[in-house]
Amino acid sequence: MVIIPATTGQMGVLPGHVPTIAELRPGLLSVHEGNDVTKYFLSSGFAFIHANSVADIIAVEAVQIDRIDPSLVQKGLAEFTQKLSSATTDLEKAEAQIGVDVYSALNFAISG
Amino acid sequence: MAMAALRREGRRFAPLISPQPMTAVRSSLISEEQVPLGVRSISTQIVRNRMKSVKNIQKITKAMKMVAASKLRAIQVRAENSRGLWQPFTALLGDTPSVDVKKNVIVTISSDKGLCGGINSTSVKTSKALHKLTSGPDKEAVYVVLGEKAKAQMIRDSKKYIVVSITELQKNPLNYTQVSVVADDILKNVEYDALRIVFNKFQSVVAFLPTTATVLSPEVVEREAESGGRLGELDSYEIEGGDTKSEVLQNLTEFQFSCVMFNAVLENACSEQGARMSAMDSSSRNAGDMLDRLTLTYNRTRQASITTELTEIISGASALEVEFLF
Repeated sequence: MVIIPATTGQMGVLPGHVPTIAELRPGLLSVHEGNDVTKYFLSSGFAFIHANSVADIIAVEAVQIDRIDPSLVQKGLAEFTQKLSSATTDLEKAEAQIGVDVYSALNFAISG
Repeated sequence: MAMAALRREGRRFAPLISPQPMTAVRSSLISEEQVPLGVRSISTQIVRNRMKSVKNIQKITKAMKMVAASKLRAIQVRAENSRGLWQPFTALLGDTPSVDVKKNVIVTISSDKGLCGGINSTSVKTSKALHKLTSGPDKEAVYVVLGEKAKAQMIRDSKKYIVVSITELQKNPLNYTQVSVVADDILKNVEYDALRIVFNKFQSVVAFLPTTATVLSPEVVEREAESGGRLGELDSYEIEGGDTKSEVLQNLTEFQFSCVMFNAVLENACSEQGARMSAMDSSSRNAGDMLDRLTLTYNRTRQASITTELTEIISGASALEVEFLF
């Protein structure tokens, strides 16, 4: 089973799932193989679940969760929060908002 | 009487005993009188210079081959890994090179540097063929050109069809961020129903395949899916995320384009290094063959001149001996 961070919420996928195209948001992907669970952090991407019990997950970046440095996450989150408050144009605001979203998702993934 | 004989001998033998002043005289006369002699020695000089330059060229081509080989190793792994990025899209949307739409954009990918065999002319030729196929009375095709080399070839006869040209993509090592910026730039500047990306797919160090990848616009994807055409299966998929289906489809196709582009530039860069490696290998071999031939000519000429000189000396001496007997 895999649990996918779709934009509509976490999505658990088992064999025989209805064919689906799902947009992904920054979040945690967990792959369950028997009792082993591997957790990855995805930045963004798409997931295709095909009718033949095959799921493709395309991510721009995927990192195993234990390879992420929590202190850098905190630093990045603080940096982008500060950027968001000082942003003047819409573009800057949007960019800072993306940064905040990704870092808070990362933060949540590590602490959870 | 003896003195007179000795004097006569001395006069005759003088040139043989002291050859040094004799050659000095000869070399000073070369420019004025003995032209054929001079020509002979100059021609070995020319061959020697030529040998030196061929040897230098061989050194350069060998070095370029080494550089290409090490770059190839670095990029080959990345190119092969990046294939995983477009394969899911093809599994979902299929590959539709034969789709017939109004606005076609042909994205030609080439290298910035030359000396890499025929990979750039192959992608230009493929693009031109595709242009002929996709343009007609009620449809049009335009070019987006990546890389200096294809630009130089395209600008000759298809200048009016080029809408965007991007160069110096490979100044820094290729990465997804950079390629997605380029892809975004292309999408902003063209109107398209289908994007056809032409590149050389890496097969092995000596083989590359001119390939086209087709990315359809969200409208065409939706139309094809609804009419149950080539993408009929897409309708059986539930679509999650986004407000409307078309919004998700737009994100999907734009993401597909950047992924396909990323793979295409990597494949092309990989083929470029492979082609450069084999081109430089064959030119090193050619330089070696040429050097062998030149060395042979040089040695033969040198030996011939030595033989001539020896014959001259021996025949001169034997002439004296004969004279001496009388």
